[in-house]
Amino acid sequence: MSFDISIKIAGQAGQGIQSIAEILLKVLKLNGLHVFAYQDYMSRVRGGHNFMQVRISDSPVYSIKEDCNILVALDTNSVDVHRNEVPKGGAIIYDPHSTMVDSPDNRFIPIPMNNLAKEVGSPILSNTISAGSILALLDINKMDAEEFVKKQFAKKGEEVIEKNLKALERGYLYFLENFRSWKFTDIKAQKNNKLIMINGSEAVGFGAIAGGCQFIAAYPMSPSTGVFTYITGKAKEFNIISEQAEDEIAAINMALGASFSGARAMTTTSGGGLSLMAEGLSLAGVMEAPVVVVNAQRPGPATGLATRTGQEDLEYVLHIGHGEFPRFVFAPGHPEEAFYTTIHAFNLSDKYQVPAFILIDQYFADTYATAKEFDLNKVKAISSQPSAFSNDYKRYQITKSGVSPRAYPMQGDFTFIADSHEHTENGHITEDGEVRNKMVEKRFRKLKGMQKEFGKPTYYYGDKLVPSSFKKGKAKTVFLAWGSNYGVVRETVDYLKKQKRSVAMLHFNRIYPFPRKEAIAFLKGAKEIITVENNYQGQFGNILKAETGIEVDGKILKYDGRPFTVEYILKRI
Amino acid sequence: MENTNPFHYEGELSWCPGCGDFQILKSVEKALTSLNKKPSEVVLVSGIGQAAKLPHYMKANGFNGLHGRALPPAFGIKSFNRDLTVLVTTGDGDCYGEGGNHLIHAIRRNIDITVIVHNNQVYGLTKGQASPTSEVGMVTKTQPFGVVSLPFNPIAFAIAMDTPFVARSYSKDIDFTADLIKQGIETKGFALIDILQPCVSFNKINTYQWYSQRAYKLDNNYDPTNRVKAFEKSLEWGDKIPIGVIYRSQRQTYDETLDRLGIKPQVNSQPDLSKVKSLLSEF
Repeated sequence: MSFDISIKIAGQAGQGIQSIAEILLKVLKLNGLHVFAYQDYMSRVRGGHNFMQVRISDSPVYSIKEDCNILVALDTNSVDVHRNEVPKGGAIIYDPHSTMVDSPDNRFIPIPMNNLAKEVGSPILSNTISAGSILALLDINKMDAEEFVKKQFAKKGEEVIEKNLKALERGYLYFLENFRSWKFTDIKAQKNNKLIMINGSEAVGFGAIAGGCQFIAAYPMSPSTGVFTYITGKAKEFNIISEQAEDEIAAINMALGASFSGARAMTTTSGGGLSLMAEGLSLAGVMEAPVVVVNAQRPGPATGLATRTGQEDLEYVLHIGHGEFPRFVFAPGHPEEAFYTTIHAFNLSDKYQVPAFILIDQYFADTYATAKEFDLNKVKAISSQPSAFSNDYKRYQITKSGVSPRAYPMQGDFTFIADSHEHTENGHITEDGEVRNKMVEKRFRKLKGMQKEFGKPTYYYGDKLVPSSFKKGKAKTVFLAWGSNYGVVRETVDYLKKQKRSVAMLHFNRIYPFPRKEAIAFLKGAKEIITVENNYQGQFGNILKAETGIEVDGKILKYDGRPFTVEYILKRI
Repeated sequence: MENTNPFHYEGELSWCPGCGDFQILKSVEKALTSLNKKPSEVVLVSGIGQAAKLPHYMKANGFNGLHGRALPPAFGIKSFNRDLTVLVTTGDGDCYGEGGNHLIHAIRRNIDITVIVHNNQVYGLTKGQASPTSEVGMVTKTQPFGVVSLPFNPIAFAIAMDTPFVARSYSKDIDFTADLIKQGIETKGFALIDILQPCVSFNKINTYQWYSQRAYKLDNNYDPTNRVKAFEKSLEWGDKIPIGVIYRSQRQTYDETLDRLGIKPQVNSQPDLSKVKSLLSEF
């Protein structure tokens, strides 16, 4: 890592933070640079205080930093809130005409963004002016930015493109003309480094499409809406039925109906909506209906912090739905893992006829990160439905594996019933105790097969990712992570490794069925086990104890609705 | 005809003797048989309640889901496989109470399904509490001082929602009901058929005698396409209760919208890998 720069773009909702960040991120990506960008926003459409954090490096980056090297302050409040986060030698870009600054020191770079924007045509162009100045400060060739502007505004016509190109140039040159002596750091483009840039929502949505999703019904709820929006945007192209349901109860039940007809079906929601789905999920359990459920977590209880992050639904998702039934629960750690995991979730839900949950959170959903291009041949959509059935077909036939052949209507001349009651092999209501026992046992027999499937934990030991064949852990201190904390714990391990500490991370993507054997193997010999979670109770630590008897020695927890940083974790070790 | 009923189910039925549900079951079978439907191309969707047991008592495909939630799976089933004939068999509690919200939005979507509401104005399965259509003043164990809330008027509601096919029947007249169900199935779009049905165990007010005295068939001069007149008709309740097709209209169905967009996924089809690849370049 020859450089590691953090930029914060701060202002009110509606001021164009995202427009600036978008140009910046796309241009950095085109230059082969690794970026990691997180948006912190309030639950409002205008006003308030929002910011976007962008970290740039020539090596992969996985988390955000508390301090920043460059602050782009779009209003006075942003200067007040963030000026102390910029160390000496850092830069604070602001508009001297609209932003009041008390005693500006040599970090402050006044750029009259509004006036320059008016000069080139319209105040609305001030975002492009800012982007131009930031690129000049980073000493990045603006040609890529010009290409991006042309693409971005292609639909809006020549005039808009022309004006934005002018604004980009004006911002770029204004910086060079007035602050040429500002030498920030050496950022070398790595043009042959082919990267994609994707956020967590897109990665799950893209995975769903690659996983053969054919039906999605959902109700909009932050922070899950991004996944729904992404898939719906591609619905026509990929032959997917997408419906905005009247509520989450309808959403899950629609998905189960489609699943009955033979569809690969899914729904997306967040905690409150998930609660409404509880009965429907129980129905999926007894009907043995495949369905993929994405739950993007935010802090609760109830409405909680609507636009912020948390990992509070883990124990809930393990048990949601009355009665007992098996399920898959996944919690991918980064966009690439989310992409493959979503495809697996569709395949496995189909194979075992159980609901498969994908747990993400606001931080994960809204964070952009660069990654190597995904390998589309690594995991493919596979259907486990048999193609032919005899006319004495039984929907809930008792089998050794617990999985009954799943047919859909009109696959032959036979008929079948999917039933919410306990039922016979034919799907008819029964109260017979013996049949009941057989059915419960049949459903739970699936666990044996499910346990062997995709989703071993990742042991990260220094700069090595140890594959699952690795038999036991080596480090004295092991940090436990699940879901979105992969990145920040990984970077904590990197930092401590440099201090010659014997540390590792054990990250769990699949939480149910719990990979017991692997967890025990990797944690054997560890002197200290610390769980890092965005909740109050250390839920994963509790699950580990219940599943393996292993007790954690420490918990690093955060439940203020904001993501972890390496600094935060280090202070608490 | 009787002998060639392919929908006949050989098994025990757990309704009370004399229940109007038996008549509705016969009407459904008759309607489907007259349309030459095959059991394998029919799906009966239900929630919970006495009416919701119907899918178990016919030879056809069935989805017996959750209380109040028959309409959402019916949407999922039909939108994914538009070749299916989808009937929802539900009750006044299931459809107008627990699942009321879904009824509003299912009609808005106008998916091509036929909804048969066994309306007995009482809760049967839970043994005699008031339902959304119970008369004001009806005394039950949970309404010991009599029902206070106004009964829901499904017909007026459905007309207000511009439902393509709105009908009311009386379960005792099996042929008449069968014909209405047949027309409902033939209608493109959402069809609501509210069937007045005596509950011999728990409703001592709205009895066979009560309905027989009041129900009368709309005559041939009645024009169900006149929305204002239909609305007027829907308010008629008391000494005389009209049965028949009360309202008809036409608008684009959800099915047609999907057809127009060319969205028709096939079971077991894989996503086009070259198209998936092209998505990568957008990131």
